[in-house]
Amino acid sequence: MQKVLSKAQFPSFIEGLLKSYEVYGPVKDKNTKFQKIGSSKELYLDTVTEIPAKNIFLPEHEVIVEFKGGKASERQGDTKKRVIFGLRTCDLNALQILDKVMFDPLYLTKRKNTVTIGLFCEHPDEFCFCNSMELVNYYDLFFYPQKNEYYISVGSAKGLALVKGLPTAKKEVKIPHPLNTKVLEEKNIEKSYRNKIWEADAEKCLSCSACTVDCPTCNCFDIKDQLEMNLKDGKRSRCHMSCQLKSFTRVAGGKSYRDARLSRFKHFVYHKLVYYHKHQGRYMCVGCGRCLRVCPTKIDWVKTINLLDSMETIKKKGGKKKE
Amino acid sequence: MTYLPKPYVITAVEVFTSDVKLFKVKCAMDPQPGQFIEVSVPGVGECPLASCSFDGKYVDILVRNAGNVTTALFDLKKKDALFIRGPYGKGFPLAQLKKKNLIMIAGGTGIAPVTSLIEYVEKHRREFKEVFIYFGFRDEAHVLLSDRIEKWKKKFHVHVGLSNDVLTHKYERGYVQEIMEKHKPKVEHTVALLCGPETMMGGVTLELNRLGLTDNKICWSMERRMECGFGSCGRCQIQDLYVCKDGPIFRYDVIKPRLENEQSSEGVKK
Repeated sequence: MQKVLSKAQFPSFIEGLLKSYEVYGPVKDKNTKFQKIGSSKELYLDTVTEIPAKNIFLPEHEVIVEFKGGKASERQGDTKKRVIFGLRTCDLNALQILDKVMFDPLYLTKRKNTVTIGLFCEHPDEFCFCNSMELVNYYDLFFYPQKNEYYISVGSAKGLALVKGLPTAKKEVKIPHPLNTKVLEEKNIEKSYRNKIWEADAEKCLSCSACTVDCPTCNCFDIKDQLEMNLKDGKRSRCHMSCQLKSFTRVAGGKSYRDARLSRFKHFVYHKLVYYHKHQGRYMCVGCGRCLRVCPTKIDWVKTINLLDSMETIKKKGGKKKE
Repeated sequence: MTYLPKPYVITAVEVFTSDVKLFKVKCAMDPQPGQFIEVSVPGVGECPLASCSFDGKYVDILVRNAGNVTTALFDLKKKDALFIRGPYGKGFPLAQLKKKNLIMIAGGTGIAPVTSLIEYVEKHRREFKEVFIYFGFRDEAHVLLSDRIEKWKKKFHVHVGLSNDVLTHKYERGYVQEIMEKHKPKVEHTVALLCGPETMMGGVTLELNRLGLTDNKICWSMERRMECGFGSCGRCQIQDLYVCKDGPIFRYDVIKPRLENEQSSEGVKK
Protein backbone atom coordinates (compact mmCIF):
# COMPACT_ATOMS: atom_id res chain seq x y z
CA MET A 1 0.00 0.00 0.00
CA GLN A 2 1.24 3.52 -0.78
CA LYS A 3 0.18 6.79 0.78
CA VAL A 4 0.71 10.26 -0.64
CA LEU A 5 2.11 13.32 1.13
CA SER A 6 2.58 16.60 -0.72
CA LYS A 7 5.98 18.24 -0.30
CA ALA A 8 4.30 21.39 1.06
CA GLN A 9 2.85 19.34 3.90
CA PHE A 10 6.12 17.58 4.71
CA PRO A 11 7.28 20.04 7.43
CA SER A 12 4.00 19.72 9.26
CA PHE A 13 4.25 15.91 9.02
CA ILE A 14 7.62 16.05 10.81
CA GLU A 15 6.24 18.55 13.38
CA GLY A 16 3.43 16.06 14.00
CA LEU A 17 5.96 13.28 14.67
CA LEU A 18 7.93 15.54 17.01
CA LYS A 19 4.91 15.81 19.33
CA SER A 20 4.94 12.16 20.34
CA TYR A 21 8.34 10.86 19.26
CA GLU A 22 12.02 11.62 19.60
CA VAL A 23 12.88 12.21 15.94
CA TYR A 24 16.32 11.51 14.48
CA GLY A 25 17.38 12.50 11.00
CA PRO A 26 20.39 13.30 8.85
CA VAL A 27 21.93 16.62 9.88
CA LYS A 28 24.83 18.57 8.42
CA ASP A 29 27.20 19.72 11.10
CA LYS A 30 30.97 19.43 10.75
CA ASN A 31 30.12 16.14 9.07
CA THR A 32 26.79 14.62 8.11
CA LYS A 33 25.27 12.30 10.69
CA PHE A 34 22.03 11.10 12.25
CA GLN A 35 21.05 13.32 15.14
CA LYS A 36 18.05 14.24 17.25
CA ILE A 37 16.22 17.09 15.51
CA GLY A 38 13.91 19.84 16.76
CA SER A 39 12.34 20.83 13.46
CA SER A 40 12.20 19.73 9.84
CA LYS A 41 14.46 22.65 8.83
CA GLU A 42 17.48 20.90 10.36
CA LEU A 43 17.22 17.94 7.99
CA TYR A 44 19.88 17.50 5.34
CA LEU A 45 18.56 15.08 2.73
CA ASP A 46 20.92 15.49 -0.24
CA THR A 47 23.49 12.73 0.23
CA VAL A 48 24.24 9.59 2.20
CA THR A 49 25.49 10.59 5.66
CA GLU A 50 29.14 10.20 6.57
CA ILE A 51 28.42 8.75 10.03
CA PRO A 52 26.01 5.80 9.91
CA ALA A 53 22.81 5.34 11.91
CA LYS A 54 24.28 2.49 13.97
CA ASN A 55 25.53 5.02 16.50
CA ILE A 56 21.94 5.65 17.68
CA PHE A 57 21.69 2.00 18.77
CA LEU A 58 25.33 1.33 19.53
CA PRO A 59 26.81 4.47 21.03
CA GLU A 60 30.56 4.71 21.31
CA HIS A 61 30.34 4.07 25.00
CA GLU A 62 27.35 2.58 26.85
CA VAL A 63 27.10 1.23 30.41
CA ILE A 64 25.74 -2.33 30.44
CA VAL A 65 26.32 -3.54 34.00
CA GLU A 66 26.70 -1.69 37.28
CA PHE A 67 28.36 -3.02 40.41
CA LYS A 68 27.25 -1.63 43.73
CA GLY A 69 27.74 -3.03 47.23
CA GLY A 70 28.84 -6.45 45.98
CA LYS A 71 25.86 -6.83 43.67
CA ALA A 72 25.61 -6.49 39.93
CA SER A 73 22.66 -5.06 38.05
CA GLU A 74 22.10 -4.92 34.33
CA ARG A 75 20.96 -1.72 32.65
CA GLN A 76 17.68 -2.14 30.84
CA GLY A 77 17.18 -0.57 27.45
CA ASP A 78 15.88 2.85 26.64
CA THR A 79 12.10 2.63 26.06
CA LYS A 80 11.73 6.12 24.58
CA LYS A 81 9.66 6.08 21.38
CA ARG A 82 11.89 7.05 18.49
CA VAL A 83 11.52 7.71 14.80
CA ILE A 84 14.51 7.77 12.48
CA PHE A 85 13.79 9.63 9.26
CA GLY A 86 15.91 9.67 6.14
CA LEU A 87 17.52 6.23 6.23
CA ARG A 88 18.65 5.13 2.78
CA THR A 89 18.16 1.56 1.59
CA CYS A 90 21.74 0.80 2.65
CA ASP A 91 21.17 2.15 6.17
CA LEU A 92 17.96 0.16 6.54
CA ASN A 93 19.60 -3.07 5.43
CA ALA A 94 22.49 -2.40 7.77
CA LEU A 95 20.07 -2.34 10.70
CA GLN A 96 18.63 -5.67 9.62
CA ILE A 97 22.16 -7.10 9.48
CA LEU A 98 22.98 -5.78 12.96
CA ASP A 99 19.82 -7.39 14.36
CA LYS A 100 21.31 -10.82 13.60
CA VAL A 101 24.47 -10.25 15.66
CA MET A 102 23.40 -8.05 18.57
CA PHE A 103 21.58 -9.91 21.33
CA ASP A 104 21.83 -7.72 24.41
CA PRO A 105 18.72 -6.16 26.04
CA LEU A 106 20.00 -2.60 25.59
CA TYR A 107 20.13 -2.91 21.83
CA LEU A 108 16.96 -4.96 21.49
CA THR A 109 14.68 -2.63 23.46
CA LYS A 110 15.99 0.38 21.58
CA ARG A 111 15.33 -1.34 18.27
CA LYS A 112 11.87 -2.46 19.32
CA ASN A 113 10.85 1.08 20.20
CA THR A 114 12.10 2.66 17.01
CA VAL A 115 10.21 3.30 13.78
CA THR A 116 12.44 3.45 10.70
CA ILE A 117 11.47 5.73 7.84
CA GLY A 118 13.44 5.28 4.65
CA LEU A 119 14.10 7.81 1.92
CA PHE A 120 14.92 7.04 -1.69
CA CYS A 121 18.56 7.79 -2.52
CA GLU A 122 18.43 10.41 -5.28
CA HIS A 123 22.09 11.37 -5.42
CA PRO A 124 24.37 8.36 -4.95
CA ASP A 125 28.00 9.32 -5.53
CA GLU A 126 30.93 7.61 -7.23
CA PHE A 127 31.59 5.39 -4.19
CA CYS A 128 28.10 3.85 -3.92
CA PHE A 129 27.70 0.25 -5.08
CA CYS A 130 24.51 -0.79 -3.29
CA ASN A 131 22.99 -2.42 -6.37
CA SER A 132 25.72 -5.07 -6.26
CA MET A 133 24.88 -6.12 -2.71
CA GLU A 134 21.46 -7.77 -3.14
CA LEU A 135 19.67 -5.45 -0.75
CA VAL A 136 16.10 -6.16 0.35
CA ASN A 137 13.09 -3.99 1.19
CA TYR A 138 13.13 -3.57 4.93
CA TYR A 139 11.41 -0.54 6.42
CA ASP A 140 8.43 0.63 8.41
CA LEU A 141 7.83 3.48 5.96
CA PHE A 142 9.67 4.41 2.78
CA PHE A 143 9.49 7.85 1.14
CA TYR A 144 9.85 8.05 -2.63
CA PRO A 145 10.00 11.69 -3.79
CA GLN A 146 8.22 12.74 -7.00
CA LYS A 147 7.80 16.22 -8.43
CA ASN A 148 5.38 17.67 -5.89
CA GLU A 149 4.74 14.83 -3.48
CA TYR A 150 6.20 11.87 -1.60
CA TYR A 151 4.84 8.39 -2.30
CA ILE A 152 5.06 6.52 0.98
CA SER A 153 5.32 2.71 0.96
CA VAL A 154 4.15 1.07 4.17
CA GLY A 155 6.16 -1.88 5.43
CA SER A 156 4.71 -2.61 8.85
CA ALA A 157 1.86 -1.88 11.24
CA LYS A 158 4.23 0.33 13.26
CA GLY A 159 4.73 2.46 10.16
CA LEU A 160 1.10 2.48 9.15
CA ALA A 161 0.12 4.04 12.48
CA LEU A 162 2.11 7.17 11.54
CA VAL A 163 0.46 7.74 8.13
CA LYS A 164 -3.11 6.65 8.81
CA GLY A 165 -4.53 10.11 8.13
CA LEU A 166 -2.89 10.50 4.71
CA PRO A 167 -4.72 9.72 1.45
CA THR A 168 -3.97 6.44 -0.28
CA ALA A 169 -2.28 6.67 -3.68
CA LYS A 170 -4.57 6.12 -6.67
CA LYS A 171 -1.82 4.54 -8.71
CA GLU A 172 1.16 2.91 -7.02
CA VAL A 173 4.61 4.00 -8.12
CA LYS A 174 7.36 1.42 -8.56
CA ILE A 175 10.49 2.37 -6.69
CA PRO A 176 13.59 1.98 -8.90
CA HIS A 177 17.13 1.10 -7.83
CA PRO A 178 19.42 4.04 -7.12
CA LEU A 179 21.81 4.85 -9.95
CA ASN A 180 25.25 3.36 -9.32
CA THR A 181 28.40 3.86 -11.31
CA LYS A 182 30.49 1.51 -9.18
CA VAL A 183 29.96 -2.23 -9.44
CA LEU A 184 31.32 -5.07 -7.33
CA GLU A 185 31.67 -7.80 -9.89
CA GLU A 186 32.51 -10.80 -7.71
CA LYS A 187 31.43 -11.53 -4.16
CA ASN A 188 32.46 -15.15 -3.81
CA ILE A 189 36.10 -14.41 -3.05
CA GLU A 190 36.76 -17.21 -0.58
CA LYS A 191 39.27 -19.01 -2.79
CA SER A 192 41.30 -15.82 -3.39
CA TYR A 193 42.31 -15.38 0.26
CA ARG A 194 45.96 -16.01 -0.46
CA ASN A 195 46.09 -13.96 -3.64
CA LYS A 196 49.06 -11.58 -3.68
CA ILE A 197 46.88 -8.72 -4.88
CA TRP A 198 45.80 -7.92 -1.31
CA GLU A 199 49.34 -7.02 -0.33
CA ALA A 200 49.25 -3.78 -2.33
CA ASP A 201 46.18 -2.60 -0.42
CA ALA A 202 47.56 -3.69 2.93
CA GLU A 203 50.75 -1.80 2.14
CA LYS A 204 48.75 1.42 1.83
CA CYS A 205 46.66 0.72 4.96
CA LEU A 206 47.52 2.80 8.03
CA SER A 207 45.42 0.66 10.41
CA CYS A 208 43.58 3.84 11.39
CA SER A 209 40.26 1.98 11.67
CA ALA A 210 38.25 4.80 10.04
CA CYS A 211 36.56 2.27 7.73
CA THR A 212 35.15 0.29 10.64
CA VAL A 213 34.05 3.43 12.48
CA ASP A 214 32.06 4.62 9.47
CA CYS A 215 30.79 1.19 8.42
CA PRO A 216 27.07 0.88 9.19
CA THR A 217 27.35 -2.87 9.91
CA CYS A 218 30.58 -3.01 11.93
CA ASN A 219 29.42 -3.97 15.40
CA CYS A 220 32.51 -5.50 17.03
CA PHE A 221 32.95 -4.18 20.53
CA ASP A 222 35.04 -4.17 23.63
CA ILE A 223 33.80 -4.57 27.20
CA LYS A 224 35.59 -2.21 29.55
CA ASP A 225 35.39 -1.72 33.30
CA GLN A 226 35.65 1.50 35.25
CA LEU A 227 36.43 1.55 38.94
CA GLU A 228 34.64 3.97 41.25
CA MET A 229 36.52 6.05 43.81
CA ASN A 230 35.68 3.66 46.67
CA LEU A 231 37.65 0.93 44.82
CA LYS A 232 34.82 -1.57 45.21
CA ASP A 233 32.02 -0.51 42.91
CA GLY A 234 32.31 -0.03 39.21
CA LYS A 235 30.69 0.19 35.84
CA ARG A 236 31.06 -2.12 32.88
CA SER A 237 30.47 -0.69 29.45
CA ARG A 238 30.35 -1.72 25.84
CA CYS A 239 32.65 0.38 23.65
CA HIS A 240 33.41 0.51 19.95
CA MET A 241 36.37 -1.59 18.85
CA SER A 242 37.90 -2.17 15.46
CA CYS A 243 39.35 -5.30 13.87
CA GLN A 244 41.95 -3.05 12.21
CA LEU A 245 43.73 -2.49 15.52
CA LYS A 246 46.35 -4.90 16.79
CA SER A 247 44.85 -4.99 20.26
CA PHE A 248 41.65 -6.43 18.81
CA THR A 249 42.91 -10.00 19.13
CA ARG A 250 45.48 -9.49 21.88
CA VAL A 251 45.14 -12.05 24.68
CA ALA A 252 46.59 -12.15 28.17
CA GLY A 253 50.32 -12.61 27.86
CA GLY A 254 50.58 -10.25 24.90
CA LYS A 255 50.04 -12.49 21.89
CA SER A 256 48.07 -10.88 19.09
CA TYR A 257 46.59 -13.39 16.66
CA ARG A 258 46.26 -11.02 13.71
CA ASP A 259 49.57 -9.29 14.00
CA ALA A 260 50.14 -8.39 10.35
CA ARG A 261 48.28 -5.51 8.77
CA LEU A 262 47.56 -7.71 5.79
CA SER A 263 45.59 -10.24 7.79
CA ARG A 264 43.66 -7.50 9.62
CA PHE A 265 42.76 -5.77 6.36
CA LYS A 266 41.66 -9.04 4.80
CA HIS A 267 39.60 -9.86 7.88
CA PHE A 268 37.54 -6.71 7.29
CA VAL A 269 36.83 -7.49 3.64
CA TYR A 270 36.26 -11.20 4.17
CA HIS A 271 34.00 -10.67 7.18
CA LYS A 272 31.79 -8.46 5.02
CA LEU A 273 31.61 -10.77 2.02
CA VAL A 274 32.36 -14.32 3.16
CA TYR A 275 32.24 -15.03 6.91
CA TYR A 276 28.89 -13.40 7.67
CA HIS A 277 27.42 -14.97 4.54
CA LYS A 278 28.28 -18.44 5.82
CA HIS A 279 26.29 -17.94 9.02
CA GLN A 280 23.39 -15.78 7.86
CA GLY A 281 23.09 -16.39 4.12
CA ARG A 282 23.55 -12.77 3.11
CA TYR A 283 26.37 -10.28 2.73
CA MET A 284 27.34 -8.06 5.62
CA CYS A 285 28.30 -5.24 3.25
CA VAL A 286 25.47 -2.99 2.08
CA GLY A 287 27.44 -1.10 -0.57
CA CYS A 288 27.12 2.34 1.00
CA GLY A 289 30.74 3.12 0.13
CA ARG A 290 31.49 4.81 3.45
CA CYS A 291 34.72 2.85 3.99
CA LEU A 292 36.00 3.93 0.58
CA ARG A 293 34.93 7.52 1.05
CA VAL A 294 36.62 7.93 4.42
CA CYS A 295 39.89 6.08 3.78
CA PRO A 296 42.80 8.53 4.14
CA THR A 297 44.96 6.54 1.73
CA LYS A 298 42.14 5.89 -0.77
CA ILE A 299 42.16 2.11 -0.54
CA ASP A 300 39.52 0.80 -2.92
CA TRP A 301 38.94 -2.86 -2.13
CA VAL A 302 36.02 -3.00 -4.55
CA LYS A 303 38.38 -2.19 -7.39
CA THR A 304 40.83 -4.77 -6.05
CA ILE A 305 38.19 -7.49 -6.11
CA ASN A 306 37.18 -6.53 -9.64
CA LEU A 307 40.82 -6.80 -10.68
CA LEU A 308 41.06 -10.13 -8.88
CA ASP A 309 38.21 -11.40 -10.96
CA SER A 310 39.85 -10.46 -14.24
CA MET A 311 43.21 -11.79 -13.02
CA GLU A 312 41.71 -15.16 -12.23
CA THR A 313 39.99 -15.47 -15.60
CA ILE A 314 43.27 -14.61 -17.31
CA LYS A 315 44.96 -17.32 -15.28
CA LYS A 316 42.30 -19.84 -16.27
CA LYS A 317 42.67 -19.03 -19.95
CA GLY A 318 46.43 -19.25 -19.60
CA GLY A 319 47.01 -15.96 -21.37
CA LYS A 320 48.99 -12.91 -20.36
CA LYS A 321 47.50 -9.71 -19.10
CA LYS A 322 47.06 -7.22 -21.90
CA GLU A 323 48.25 -3.67 -21.50
CA MET B 1 21.45 -12.99 26.15
CA THR B 2 22.76 -11.14 29.13
CA TYR B 3 25.98 -9.63 30.40
CA LEU B 4 24.83 -9.88 34.00
CA PRO B 5 27.33 -11.78 36.17
CA LYS B 6 26.43 -13.23 39.56
CA PRO B 7 28.61 -13.04 42.68
CA TYR B 8 29.96 -16.30 44.16
CA VAL B 9 32.07 -16.91 47.25
CA ILE B 10 35.56 -18.37 47.12
CA THR B 11 35.78 -21.22 49.61
CA ALA B 12 39.41 -22.19 49.12
CA VAL B 13 42.51 -21.02 47.31
CA GLU B 14 45.27 -23.45 46.43
CA VAL B 15 48.64 -22.11 45.34
CA PHE B 16 50.56 -24.29 42.87
CA THR B 17 53.37 -22.18 41.53
CA SER B 18 54.32 -18.52 41.66
CA ASP B 19 51.81 -17.80 38.88
CA VAL B 20 49.14 -20.50 39.08
CA LYS B 21 46.35 -20.73 41.63
CA LEU B 22 43.23 -22.86 41.96
CA PHE B 23 40.08 -21.15 43.23
CA LYS B 24 37.29 -23.29 44.63
CA VAL B 25 34.05 -21.35 44.22
CA LYS B 26 30.66 -22.18 45.72
CA CYS B 27 28.52 -22.11 42.63
CA ALA B 28 25.60 -24.30 41.57
CA MET B 29 26.56 -24.37 37.93
CA ASP B 30 26.57 -27.45 35.78
CA PRO B 31 28.68 -26.85 32.68
CA GLN B 32 29.60 -29.49 30.10
CA PRO B 33 33.24 -30.58 30.17
CA GLY B 34 35.26 -28.18 28.00
CA GLN B 35 32.87 -25.24 28.27
CA PHE B 36 34.19 -21.94 29.56
CA ILE B 37 32.93 -19.30 31.95
CA GLU B 38 33.46 -15.54 32.07
CA VAL B 39 35.07 -14.69 35.40
CA SER B 40 35.16 -11.06 36.41
CA VAL B 41 36.37 -8.67 39.06
CA PRO B 42 34.25 -5.48 39.35
CA GLY B 43 36.05 -2.46 38.01
CA VAL B 44 38.82 -4.49 36.42
CA GLY B 45 37.24 -6.66 33.75
CA GLU B 46 36.26 -10.07 32.55
CA CYS B 47 38.25 -13.00 31.28
CA PRO B 48 37.21 -16.32 29.79
CA LEU B 49 38.49 -19.28 31.79
CA ALA B 50 37.92 -23.02 31.51
CA SER B 51 35.79 -24.60 34.20
CA CYS B 52 38.38 -26.99 35.58
CA SER B 53 36.16 -29.30 37.62
CA PHE B 54 32.69 -29.10 39.11
CA ASP B 55 30.18 -31.22 40.95
CA GLY B 56 26.98 -29.15 40.87
CA LYS B 57 27.89 -27.38 44.11
CA TYR B 58 31.43 -26.19 43.47
CA VAL B 59 33.37 -25.01 40.48
CA ASP B 60 37.17 -25.09 40.44
CA ILE B 61 38.91 -22.46 38.37
CA LEU B 62 42.57 -22.83 37.50
CA VAL B 63 44.10 -19.41 36.89
CA ARG B 64 47.49 -18.44 35.53
CA ASN B 65 48.45 -14.88 36.22
CA ALA B 66 48.97 -13.43 32.77
CA GLY B 67 46.87 -10.29 32.37
CA ASN B 68 44.95 -7.51 34.12
CA VAL B 69 41.99 -9.53 35.33
CA THR B 70 44.01 -12.51 36.48
CA THR B 71 46.29 -10.18 38.44
CA ALA B 72 43.23 -8.82 40.22
CA LEU B 73 41.96 -12.37 40.78
CA PHE B 74 45.23 -13.26 42.43
CA ASP B 75 44.58 -10.64 45.11
CA LEU B 76 41.35 -12.39 46.13
CA LYS B 77 41.35 -14.55 49.24
CA LYS B 78 39.10 -17.08 50.89
CA LYS B 79 35.57 -15.72 51.50
CA ASP B 80 35.97 -12.98 48.91
CA ALA B 81 33.47 -12.84 46.08
CA LEU B 82 34.10 -13.06 42.39
CA PHE B 83 31.61 -12.69 39.56
CA ILE B 84 30.81 -15.40 37.03
CA ARG B 85 28.54 -15.67 34.01
CA GLY B 86 28.15 -18.59 31.68
CA PRO B 87 28.80 -21.38 30.85
CA TYR B 88 29.41 -20.71 27.16
CA GLY B 89 30.62 -22.72 24.18
CA LYS B 90 30.04 -26.25 23.06
CA GLY B 91 32.51 -28.29 25.10
CA PHE B 92 33.93 -31.68 24.18
CA PRO B 93 31.88 -33.71 21.65
CA LEU B 94 30.89 -36.32 24.26
CA ALA B 95 28.54 -38.23 21.94
CA GLN B 96 31.39 -38.88 19.50
CA LEU B 97 33.75 -39.97 22.29
CA LYS B 98 31.60 -42.76 23.69
CA LYS B 99 32.81 -46.35 23.19
CA LYS B 100 36.17 -45.05 21.95
CA ASN B 101 39.71 -45.03 23.27
CA LEU B 102 40.72 -41.56 24.35
CA ILE B 103 44.06 -39.81 24.21
CA MET B 104 44.19 -36.60 26.23
CA ILE B 105 47.17 -34.31 25.96
CA ALA B 106 47.63 -31.07 27.82
CA GLY B 107 50.44 -28.61 28.29
CA GLY B 108 50.74 -26.28 31.26
CA THR B 109 47.44 -24.70 32.31
CA GLY B 110 45.85 -26.52 29.37
CA ILE B 111 45.28 -29.17 31.99
CA ALA B 112 42.18 -27.27 33.18
CA PRO B 113 39.60 -28.23 30.51
CA VAL B 114 41.12 -31.71 30.22
CA THR B 115 40.55 -32.19 33.97
CA SER B 116 36.83 -31.62 33.49
CA LEU B 117 36.76 -34.34 30.83
CA ILE B 118 38.81 -36.79 32.92
CA GLU B 119 36.41 -36.34 35.81
CA TYR B 120 33.48 -36.94 33.47
CA VAL B 121 35.15 -40.15 32.27
CA GLU B 122 35.73 -41.20 35.89
CA LYS B 123 32.01 -40.83 36.60
CA HIS B 124 30.94 -42.64 33.44
CA ARG B 125 33.85 -45.08 33.16
CA ARG B 126 31.88 -47.81 31.36
CA GLU B 127 31.00 -45.59 28.42
CA PHE B 128 34.62 -45.21 27.38
CA LYS B 129 37.36 -47.71 26.54
CA GLU B 130 41.04 -47.22 27.32
CA VAL B 131 42.18 -43.76 28.34
CA PHE B 132 45.71 -42.46 27.71
CA ILE B 133 46.71 -39.21 29.35
CA TYR B 134 49.88 -37.20 28.68
CA PHE B 135 50.75 -33.98 30.44
CA GLY B 136 53.62 -31.69 29.68
CA PHE B 137 55.14 -29.19 32.11
CA ARG B 138 58.30 -27.14 32.30
CA ASP B 139 59.88 -28.67 35.39
CA GLU B 140 58.94 -30.32 38.69
CA ALA B 141 58.06 -27.02 40.33
CA HIS B 142 55.56 -26.29 37.56
CA VAL B 143 53.57 -29.52 37.80
CA LEU B 144 49.90 -28.68 38.41
CA LEU B 145 47.25 -30.75 40.18
CA SER B 146 49.92 -33.31 41.15
CA ASP B 147 47.72 -35.06 43.75
CA ARG B 148 44.98 -35.57 41.17
CA ILE B 149 47.53 -36.88 38.69
CA GLU B 150 48.66 -39.49 41.25
CA LYS B 151 45.03 -40.50 41.72
CA TRP B 152 44.46 -40.80 37.97
CA LYS B 153 47.59 -42.94 37.58
CA LYS B 154 45.73 -45.75 39.34
CA LYS B 155 42.85 -45.68 36.84
CA PHE B 156 44.29 -44.60 33.48
CA HIS B 157 47.57 -44.69 31.55
CA VAL B 158 49.01 -41.39 32.77
CA HIS B 159 52.44 -40.05 31.86
CA VAL B 160 53.95 -36.69 32.68
CA GLY B 161 56.80 -35.19 30.70
CA LEU B 162 59.03 -32.33 31.83
CA SER B 163 60.60 -30.39 29.00
CA ASN B 164 63.11 -28.34 30.93
CA ASP B 165 64.15 -30.58 33.82
CA VAL B 166 67.06 -32.94 33.31
CA LEU B 167 67.31 -33.96 36.96
CA THR B 168 63.79 -35.23 37.54
CA HIS B 169 63.27 -38.77 38.83
CA LYS B 170 59.62 -38.50 39.69
CA TYR B 171 58.49 -37.74 36.14
CA GLU B 172 59.75 -38.45 32.63
CA ARG B 173 62.06 -36.16 30.69
CA GLY B 174 61.17 -34.68 27.31
CA TYR B 175 58.45 -32.90 25.43
CA VAL B 176 54.96 -34.30 25.70
CA GLN B 177 54.97 -35.61 22.11
CA GLU B 178 58.19 -37.50 22.82
CA ILE B 179 56.64 -39.06 25.92
CA MET B 180 53.60 -40.05 23.90
CA GLU B 181 55.73 -41.52 21.11
CA LYS B 182 57.63 -43.59 23.69
CA HIS B 183 54.48 -45.13 25.19
CA LYS B 184 52.65 -45.74 21.90
CA PRO B 185 48.95 -45.22 22.71
CA LYS B 186 46.29 -47.17 20.81
CA VAL B 187 45.18 -45.37 17.68
CA GLU B 188 42.39 -47.66 16.44
CA HIS B 189 38.93 -46.37 17.41
CA THR B 190 40.58 -43.48 19.13
CA VAL B 191 39.94 -39.77 19.51
CA ALA B 192 42.66 -37.40 20.72
CA LEU B 193 41.85 -34.25 22.69
CA LEU B 194 44.46 -31.52 22.96
CA CYS B 195 44.77 -28.38 25.01
CA GLY B 196 47.78 -26.15 25.34
CA PRO B 197 49.78 -23.54 23.48
CA GLU B 198 49.21 -23.69 19.70
CA THR B 199 52.83 -24.60 18.95
CA MET B 200 52.64 -27.53 21.38
CA MET B 201 49.35 -28.74 19.86
CA GLY B 202 50.92 -28.48 16.40
CA GLY B 203 53.85 -30.66 17.44
CA VAL B 204 51.62 -33.21 19.13
CA THR B 205 49.32 -33.36 16.09
CA LEU B 206 52.26 -34.14 13.81
CA GLU B 207 53.28 -36.98 16.13
CA LEU B 208 49.71 -38.29 16.28
CA ASN B 209 49.53 -38.24 12.48
CA ARG B 210 52.76 -40.24 12.39
CA LEU B 211 51.25 -42.78 14.79
CA GLY B 212 48.33 -43.14 12.40
CA LEU B 213 45.60 -40.88 13.75
CA THR B 214 43.97 -38.72 11.08
CA ASP B 215 43.11 -35.02 11.50
CA ASN B 216 39.36 -35.63 11.86
CA LYS B 217 39.98 -37.65 15.04
CA ILE B 218 41.95 -34.90 16.75
CA CYS B 219 40.29 -32.07 18.70
CA TRP B 220 41.95 -28.79 19.58
CA SER B 221 40.84 -26.53 22.39
CA MET B 222 41.45 -22.99 21.17
CA GLU B 223 42.32 -19.81 22.96
CA ARG B 224 41.20 -16.41 21.66
CA ARG B 225 40.18 -13.11 23.14
CA MET B 226 36.49 -13.18 24.03
CA GLU B 227 34.36 -10.33 25.33
CA CYS B 228 30.74 -11.43 25.06
CA GLY B 229 30.79 -15.22 24.99
CA PHE B 230 27.90 -15.72 22.57
CA GLY B 231 29.02 -14.63 19.12
CA SER B 232 28.28 -10.91 19.22
CA CYS B 233 31.51 -9.02 19.78
CA GLY B 234 33.46 -10.63 16.93
CA ARG B 235 36.71 -10.74 18.89
CA CYS B 236 37.31 -14.49 18.84
CA GLN B 237 36.74 -15.11 15.15
CA ILE B 238 39.09 -17.49 13.37
CA GLN B 239 37.97 -16.61 9.86
CA ASP B 240 34.26 -17.53 9.85
CA LEU B 241 34.26 -19.55 13.08
CA TYR B 242 33.51 -18.03 16.46
CA VAL B 243 35.60 -19.70 19.16
CA CYS B 244 32.99 -18.76 21.76
CA LYS B 245 29.93 -20.31 20.19
CA ASP B 246 31.28 -22.79 17.61
CA GLY B 247 34.08 -23.95 19.92
CA PRO B 248 36.25 -23.65 21.97
CA ILE B 249 36.80 -27.31 21.04
CA PHE B 250 37.27 -27.77 17.29
CA ARG B 251 37.99 -30.80 15.18
CA TYR B 252 41.47 -30.25 13.77
CA ASP B 253 40.46 -30.83 10.14
CA VAL B 254 37.88 -28.03 10.56
CA ILE B 255 40.21 -25.49 12.14
CA LYS B 256 43.42 -26.35 10.26
CA PRO B 257 42.69 -24.64 6.89
CA ARG B 258 41.47 -21.53 8.70
CA LEU B 259 44.54 -21.30 10.92
CA GLU B 260 46.80 -21.85 7.92
CA ASN B 261 45.00 -19.13 5.97
CA GLU B 262 45.40 -16.59 8.76
CA GLN B 263 48.99 -17.67 9.29
CA SER B 264 49.75 -17.19 5.58
CA SER B 265 49.35 -13.42 5.87
CA GLU B 266 51.47 -13.13 9.00
CA GLY B 267 55.11 -12.26 8.67
CA VAL B 268 54.57 -10.53 5.32
CA LYS B 269 54.88 -7.07 6.79
CA LYS B 270 53.87 -5.89 10.22
